Amino acid sequence: MSYGRKITLKSSDGETFEVDEAVGSESQTIKHMIEDDCADNAIPLPNVTSKMLSKVIEYCKKHVETPKPDDNDELKAWDADFVKVDQATLFDIILAANYLNINSLLDLTCQTVADMIKDKTPEEIRKTFHIKNDFTPEAEEEVRKENQWAFE
Amino acid sequence: MSEDDDRSPPSDLGCADSESSSKTRNCSGISGSGSTSVEVQAPYPDQVLENVLENVLCFLTSRRDRSAASLVCKSWYRAEALTRSELFIGNCYAVSPRRATTRFTRVRSVAIKGKPRFADFNLMPPNWGAHFSPWVATMAKAYPWLEKIYLKRMSVTDENLAILAHSFPSFKELALVCCEGFGTSGLAVVASKCRQLKVLDLIESEVLDDDVDWISCFPESHTCLESLIFDCVECLINFEALERLVVRSPYLKKLRLNRLASIGQLHRLMVRAPQLTHLGTGSFTTLDAVQGEPEPDYASAFAASRSLVCLSGFREASPEFLFAIYPVCANLTSLNFSYATIDVEELKSVICHCRKLQTLWVLDTICDEGLQAVAASCKELRELRVFPVEAQEDFESPVSEVGFQAISEGCRKLESILYFCQRMTNAAVIAMSKNCPDLVVFRLCIMGRHRPDYVTGEPMDEGFGAIVMNCKKLTRLAVSGLLTDRAFDYIGKYGKLVRTLSVAFAGDSDMGLKYVLEGCPNLQKLEIRDSPFGDAALLSGLHHYYNMRFLWMSSCRLTREGCTEIARALPRMVVEVMQEANAVRDEERRGFIDTLYMYRSLEGPRDDAPEVVEIA
Repeated sequence: MSYGRKITLKSSDGETFEVDEAVGSESQTIKHMIEDDCADNAIPLPNVTSKMLSKVIEYCKKHVETPKPDDNDELKAWDADFVKVDQATLFDIILAANYLNINSLLDLTCQTVADMIKDKTPEEIRKTFHIKNDFTPEAEEEVRKENQWAFE
Repeated sequence: MSEDDDRSPPSDLGCADSESSSKTRNCSGISGSGSTSVEVQAPYPDQVLENVLENVLCFLTSRRDRSAASLVCKSWYRAEALTRSELFIGNCYAVSPRRATTRFTRVRSVAIKGKPRFADFNLMPPNWGAHFSPWVATMAKAYPWLEKIYLKRMSVTDENLAILAHSFPSFKELALVCCEGFGTSGLAVVASKCRQLKVLDLIESEVLDDDVDWISCFPESHTCLESLIFDCVECLINFEALERLVVRSPYLKKLRLNRLASIGQLHRLMVRAPQLTHLGTGSFTTLDAVQGEPEPDYASAFAASRSLVCLSGFREASPEFLFAIYPVCANLTSLNFSYATIDVEELKSVICHCRKLQTLWVLDTICDEGLQAVAASCKELRELRVFPVEAQEDFESPVSEVGFQAISEGCRKLESILYFCQRMTNAAVIAMSKNCPDLVVFRLCIMGRHRPDYVTGEPMDEGFGAIVMNCKKLTRLAVSGLLTDRAFDYIGKYGKLVRTLSVAFAGDSDMGLKYVLEGCPNLQKLEIRDSPFGDAALLSGLHHYYNMRFLWMSSCRLTREGCTEIARALPRMVVEVMQEANAVRDEERRGFIDTLYMYRSLEGPRDDAPEVVEIA
């Protein structure tokens, strides 16, 4: 089924992807380029690898194809599966979604990472994301106290 | 949610924001080196996370999660501070406005709490403090994009409201709960200058009548108003102006009139605003009967209000008009009859229709029989408050353990109860502990001092013991009646999740308080009056006071020396001692202080305390 004309996207590592205009327009960045008539040739996306671009296209295609995306349980389940990837990939998708300005994908991926932070202690969060604690014990205690006494 | 025995259901301003879709659009976006072209070679995972952190943290809304995130490492601390948009200050004296605004620079919504709850019962000197002034002055400069302010038990002046109105061009929501110090002039400035105002909620606040017609001050064109709550305002409102305001406020969903509004006026407003979801009916009686005019069709107006889910008011309710609300009962989730002296039959006629009711506030005039009717009809009930029409100690109250037990048997989903009565039994309380395992808030006020179990003559220890033992989710508890140290032993042993505890006229010795202070690791707020706890008991809590929001003890057996010792042992506690200057002191109370109010603070003792407050 055709959704209007096709456009070509070119990843940072030179690979090209042909997609329907409607699918590409899920990205505000690409949409503006189409509107500004820059889409006759391949649209270069120097900040997005082919691996990421194919993932993002997969997301946009699914969302364009699904009727009533705001109220669709099947789509929600599909989204939940879509983000079941390793941490590094998840962060890369966030970067790509941000650069390509795809709000729903940005919300979805950021919410997923936020869910990994919820209900955890600071040490558990550090372990989850392999982060080093660079607070001195005194500084950490001061922050803990300020949090508890003033803002909780 | 308001946690107190106010007469009006809480404003939901304090709850999570229901912003639509992308929260990330509010953020500064990806932070990092500032360059838009990322290197082709993938950066290390933690570097990437740092780049996306602000976007991610926008999705953390709970205070606990934000606290945890801020402690992960320095860059997370900075990112969390930049992305915190809702600031909560549990005690206005625990932190200074400057410290708060220096750390959190992009706040859109602020909630500040001031005086402790016992201030509501005139147990505090009138000008004790909790002034909004330093906060509004600092925020005016620090938060030009501020949209929401929620204040509880703060002292607010007209000048404060004027600064607010002039400093925040995007201001949208103001909720003043249990506040005082301002008047209709202050409201007028807010109404006229805050052109984007969506919410103006005045709840249980004292509003001075400066003879200013604030209702006429809202924008002349369509307003953004969604909620206008002024049921506590004791001054006459310009009714014609209110009518015009309602007509030009198409988004209005919540409207709560004061008791000076007649049922005729209510009717005129209802037909102009059938889209309301929350309605405070005002007096619900004819205040100035106009001769010769036909009676409006009140029932019709209610029938047309298809979205009504929350009904309150009934301030001088005439039972003859009660039938008018029948059309909306089936959809009601919240009903506040706490000002309506309706009797059993009147209550029954209404409640039998209220199958979806989740929140009910009533007066004890409905009697045990009325409570039985509630138990039979309201299977979805989550919160019940039964207030006394006569709050005197030697009065025969019409509700007792009979109604209490009936509720426990009929309303199994109960989560919160506040119950005033003159007599109770352990058996009924034990029954509720078993029938209602979801209880989170249990406040039983057996009026009259030291009243034992009505049937057995025993102390009420076993009843309250059963509550802490069986209600595993309990976080708030108020005890009363004849209680020995044993009751406190139970609380210390089983009340592991209790955060707020209120004690009045209870206990035998210092052991009681010791059990609680040593046994309840989550205790945050402890308010005690007229109980025999002394310095030794006070000192037994030294290990825990820095973990608490506050401790209040009035008319107990504390001495100045005891307070000084605490202050010395805990240098970052602010220990306020209040002594009523010219009180006639009987032999028993000589040597003891009237009131101790103490709280931890990052700032040290405050400099705005009135003379009657001594800081140890």
